Amino acid sequence: MTVMPGSIHGLIGPNGAGKSTVFNLITGVIPLTAGEIRYKRERISELRPSEICRRGIARTFQATALFREYTVLQNVLVGAHLLAAPGLVPALLWSRAYRERERRARERAHALLTSLGLGAVAGQVAGQLPHRDQKALALAMALATGAELVILDEPLAGLTDHEKAETTAVLRRLAEQSVTVLLVEHDMKAVMGVCDTVTVLDHGVRIAEGTPREIQTNAVVIEAYLGAEEPGA
Amino acid sequence: MSGPAAGVALIALTAAALPLITRDSYYLDVATTILMNLTLTMSFRLQISTGQINMAHISFMGIGAYASALLVTRAGLSFWATLWIGALVAASLAVPIGSIALRVSGPYYFLITFAFSEVVRLFFNNFFEGLFGGPSGLVGIPKPGRVLGLAFDSKLALYGLMAVMCVVVVLALVRLDYSRFGLTAGAIRQADLVAETLGVNVFRYKLTAFVLGSFVAGLAGVFFAHFRQVLHSSDFGLEPMVLLVVFTVIGGTGSVWGPAVGTILMTIASELLRELHHYEILVFGAVLILTMLFAPEGLVALPSAARRLLRRRRRQATAPAGAGLAP
Repeated sequence: MTVMPGSIHGLIGPNGAGKSTVFNLITGVIPLTAGEIRYKRERISELRPSEICRRGIARTFQATALFREYTVLQNVLVGAHLLAAPGLVPALLWSRAYRERERRARERAHALLTSLGLGAVAGQVAGQLPHRDQKALALAMALATGAELVILDEPLAGLTDHEKAETTAVLRRLAEQSVTVLLVEHDMKAVMGVCDTVTVLDHGVRIAEGTPREIQTNAVVIEAYLGAEEPGA
Repeated sequence: MSGPAAGVALIALTAAALPLITRDSYYLDVATTILMNLTLTMSFRLQISTGQINMAHISFMGIGAYASALLVTRAGLSFWATLWIGALVAASLAVPIGSIALRVSGPYYFLITFAFSEVVRLFFNNFFEGLFGGPSGLVGIPKPGRVLGLAFDSKLALYGLMAVMCVVVVLALVRLDYSRFGLTAGAIRQADLVAETLGVNVFRYKLTAFVLGSFVAGLAGVFFAHFRQVLHSSDFGLEPMVLLVVFTVIGGTGSVWGPAVGTILMTIASELLRELHHYEILVFGAVLILTMLFAPEGLVALPSAARRLLRRRRRQATAPAGAGLAP
């Protein structure tokens, strides 16, 4: 599977096809036992998740994973960890350069939250946010890392139609800003509407890849989905 | 003045004010013990802030204490040199121990550190008796020597030294807690995998907290050795470690001020319960269980919990009669 820079790439397949496993392998959450994963030509298969993130890949989780005791702003500030270039000694000395860097990190975090419609809840505790805002916050945290590739596990799950439309608009905006999006999503209408390319997995095997139109008419894909809804239906 | 600065200033002013109120040797002794315990619990909480309960924390205090005592009595070094050397020895040993222990988490981490703690205690007790003093203890440790024209041969002077050390440690640890380091440490405690996928090298953070905490414990150990002037392996065994956990948890680990509250209250309680001898630990155990049941966030969180309760009561009182679901 190849994900092109600046594209929105969907990964679909029936339940148990291995979509989330692919995400866990790419981000180093589970170790690869065969094959290899390359990012910008560099082999990243053996790297720790934090090192993979440093290369420019960030992700969200299927069950929205946040720092629930922290405020929305603090969650994003943790995401901005890499850009803030933290260090023990500057933190202890509370130097002018350290404070300036932190001030800039806060400004960036506020700007990011505002762009995702979370500006008004920046001071709220993340665990108490409504579902839509928690999803948006998870995306904000991934973007705060400065990632060039964001991997989103079911970003539309549990959202209303209006909220789904808002989120897909955000994804399109990201692609316009040259951020590559790789997503797993069960909402076929949304996947076919927003993705440039779609890869279909079944039982851990890639059975098809192409534009949404090609996937919708692919006989192998339709067969894999028999019993479930037809892709694009 | 900001919250953290006000907290450090309060500790510093209280410490400075005590000798103006009393110079009684007993009270100075208790106050010195409180400050020593506070240094330990604050450094223990630094490790807890990344989600690790290091049951060997007291051992690093012991390593600092024995290192300094031996370097002063056998090698003739000055206390002022061994103060740093002892802490550095503790921190240096924390690097390999932490690197091994932090490969695992949860109960396994707890057990590994507990096992290390017992190994250290037994080592001081059973090995190189001529060096460590064995079961009879290491005696004849001198008080700190003169420095900058100041003598440290009185309770008051030792109290002053511990107060300065404690305030510097508290200032540094509070500063860290309110910095990006503290923010990231708390994120690791809440969801380490999420933090890792956001670019945080979780292992490095945990190891840094482990080593830094051990350095501070070593510092407290060096002072302890020259304050008590005698060392027993049991000073760094399970019972004092349990007390350290009790002090920290009762105060509350969610806030950097929790250990301060727990240490001050429980050290005073410990003095009041001295008559109970070995039963004292039972009382502390009961207090710990009750705290876990009724105030799991610790004593430091009680005021905010009370405020939340009052607000809820007020809201209920002002809610229109008959509101809510019908039975």
